[in-house]
Order: sequence, then C-alpha cells, then structure tokens
Amino acid sequence: MAENIEQGGHGGDQGHGGHGGHGAEHGHGDHGHHINYKKIYLVLLVLLVISVAGPFLGIFWVTLLTAFGIAIVKATLVVQNFMHLKIERQIAKWVLAASLLLLFLFFAGVAPDVMKHDGAGWENLAAKAVVDAGIDSGEEHGEEGEEHDEEAEPEPEPVVAFAPDQAYSQICSTCHGAGGRGDGAGAAALDPKPADFTLAEFWETRTDADLVKVIREGGASVGKSAQMAPWGALYDEEQAQQIVDYIRNTFVQGG
Amino acid sequence: MSYPPIATQRRSTGIPTGRLAVWWVLASEVVIFGGLLASYLMFRIGHPEWADAAVHTNTWIGAFNTFVLLTSSFTAVLGHQAAERGEGKLAARYLIYTILGAATFVGVKSYEWWYEISHGYTITTNNFWSFYYTAAGLHAAHVIAGAVIMGYIARDAAKNVNLHRVELIGIYWHFVDVVWIFLFPLLYIAK
Repeated sequence: MAENIEQGGHGGDQGHGGHGGHGAEHGHGDHGHHINYKKIYLVLLVLLVISVAGPFLGIFWVTLLTAFGIAIVKATLVVQNFMHLKIERQIAKWVLAASLLLLFLFFAGVAPDVMKHDGAGWENLAAKAVVDAGIDSGEEHGEEGEEHDEEAEPEPEPVVAFAPDQAYSQICSTCHGAGGRGDGAGAAALDPKPADFTLAEFWETRTDADLVKVIREGGASVGKSAQMAPWGALYDEEQAQQIVDYIRNTFVQGG
Repeated sequence: MSYPPIATQRRSTGIPTGRLAVWWVLASEVVIFGGLLASYLMFRIGHPEWADAAVHTNTWIGAFNTFVLLTSSFTAVLGHQAAERGEGKLAARYLIYTILGAATFVGVKSYEWWYEISHGYTITTNNFWSFYYTAAGLHAAHVIAGAVIMGYIARDAAKNVNLHRVELIGIYWHFVDVVWIFLFPLLYIAK
C-alpha cells in the first residue's frame, strides 16, 4: 500500500518521531498510537473550567489571560494531538502557516484604522460619535448594572432631544410656513388654508388647551379641518404646550 | 469490493491525497473564520460600548456547548484510533457519538438563539449582535455540514469501507472545535 511509505521526517518537536512510522496495519495515517487522548481531553476540560472561572476574580488582565491565553493553549492541544499536526508532514504545516500569515497581514493592515479613531491628521468623527452615544445610553442603565443578566430587556433607542423650534421647522412649517403665515409649501393644495399664526384674531379665538389638543389629536378633534394631522405619537402634552408657546412668542407681533 | 487504481499518495509531499485536501480546506477556513474573528476583535477594541451588548450573552450556555464540542472531538479521535486498528464497527460507533454531540450542540444553540431573539436581540439590533449571529451561525453551519458528512462516513466505516476517511472527517471536526474554542471567549467571556 502506498500509504505505508515510511513516514520519516516528522518534525523533531514531538518526541514521537521515533515511533511514528511503525506498526500501522492499514495505512490510515500511521500515527497517534502514542498519544494519550484521554489525558489530553481531561486537560482540555480543566482548562475550560479555568477559563469560565477566570472572570469571577474580577481582575481585567487575569480574565484576558484565562480567556484568550487558555484558548490558545486549548487550540494548540487540539491541533497538535487530535489533528496530529505535530506528527504531520511539513507540507501541511506550511499550508496552514501561509493562511495564518495572510490573516495577520489582513489584521495588521486594517486594524489601525478600525481600532483607533484618530491619528496624525485624521479623526474618525462618526466612530467617536457612535462610541459616545453607546456609552451614554449604557450609563442611563447604570443603576441596574449589577442586575445585568439574560433577563434584561434590550436597551431602548436613545430619545432624541426635543426642541420646539426644531419641531416647528421639521413638522409644522411644511404647511404653516417658516414665518407662521400659513403659506408653507404644502399649503397650496389645502382648503381651507392652514392657520396664520401672525393674526391676533387667531390667538383670541383659541385657548392653549385647544391648540395642544389640535397638535396632538388633529384639527378634526375640535371641529376644524381634518387636514391638520394629529401628532400625538411624536409629542406629549407638555411638548405640544412648548410648541404652542414657541409659535406664540415667535410669530405674534405685539399679540 | 474492487476499486480502480487511484493515486492515494503524492510522492512529492509524502501525504495521502485526501488528507492533503483536508488541510487545504482548513487553510481556506482559517482565512474565512480568521478574517471574521479578526474583524470582530478590532471592532470590539475600537468600540468599548459593545461591552454593554456582550453582557447579555449566556456564559453558561456557551461553556456547556464548549464542553459538548470538546467531548465530541474526543470521540472523533477515538474513532480515528479505532479505524487505524481496522475496527470499522467501533469507529462507526464513535462517529455516531460525535454526531450526537453535534446534535446536542445545535439543539442547545437553537434554544439559546430562540431565547435571545424572543427577548429582542436580533442580527439587526447592533453591530455586536450582527457579529454574534454571523460568527456563531457560520460556525453552526459547519457543525451541521460536518455531522451530515460524518453520517455517510460512519455508514461506510461500519462495513469496513473507506476507513481512512474517519481520520479526514476527524481533522475537519477538530478544526470546527478549535474555531469554537476561540469564539467562546470572544463572545461569552470578554464582557
């Protein structure tokens, strides 16, 4: 059988080389007779226990060591003894080494840009913003930090800060106009026309409570045009009141 | 049982063709999984806020599945040992044990994912969970594929046919184990 060609030339690093080539009856890779698989397996289990126990000490670099140091040891044990790489022919080692080299080239080439967010003459503002936003939303949950477990619900989306002027320019001005005269781009298609906030008459015929209701529930809720849409999903009563105050203070001349 | 003469050994490498092929497969897998894990590592280092997401993975489930995979690697290598001695039936039985390990692993992982998804952690939640589901999912696909191939090889081995393949699937299986050995600390311990 071709496979029974002598298996000399194993690396000198394993101490099994002297026996590796003998005694295989069937030629299915005639090695491994001298590896105590059970012992390797038990060592792997002990290492697993240590890697799980490591973080309980609460020391950062100990965790790093028990997590990744032990992972490397475990992987080496499996590769050398279960995959028999330590008594495999050189070609297999070179093939794997070439792959690993490619991997490290990739890592070394990309990692500086990804891991660092600034350097000589450049700054990754987007990445910094993401980190800041993520850390801020994490701090809001600081009180329940000790209770962190699998039961915890996902953190809610960070609430966008409310500002009445922005609300007006983003939502209201489309129809009511940037100047509050009811002449926004959307007004042309509307009948009746949107309210003109600069008129004293407008403010004399409505209470704040009416206006808050209209903003949150729409024009139809007070018998006005249904084309004034309800925005209660975006603004609570307090925010709607702030919008009313903003509009009055901004657009009414001497009202 | 007769086979046409085929080159089972490369003169220049001194290695059985099938085994050399498995090494080449693994070399490409090193780049696939390695690239994924290296990317995860660099993003994780660059984004300390990922730790907030990582605290939600279940270390005990991860540790249990590590135990399952280590054990299945042990049975796979015992199968290889049996095949070397020409004991096909025993080798097949060890491969079946290994397949049971794979089934346990996938079953536990299904429960884990079901639990996480039902609590709102999905692949689109944030970049941590994207990596989590991508890396563990790609790995689970390898577990399933390996188990299926192992089934075919075990069927042959029970009839003392193609016993050398027991070693080949074993080498692949140990590699899948090694990938998980690195995934475990990356996803479950580093919090």
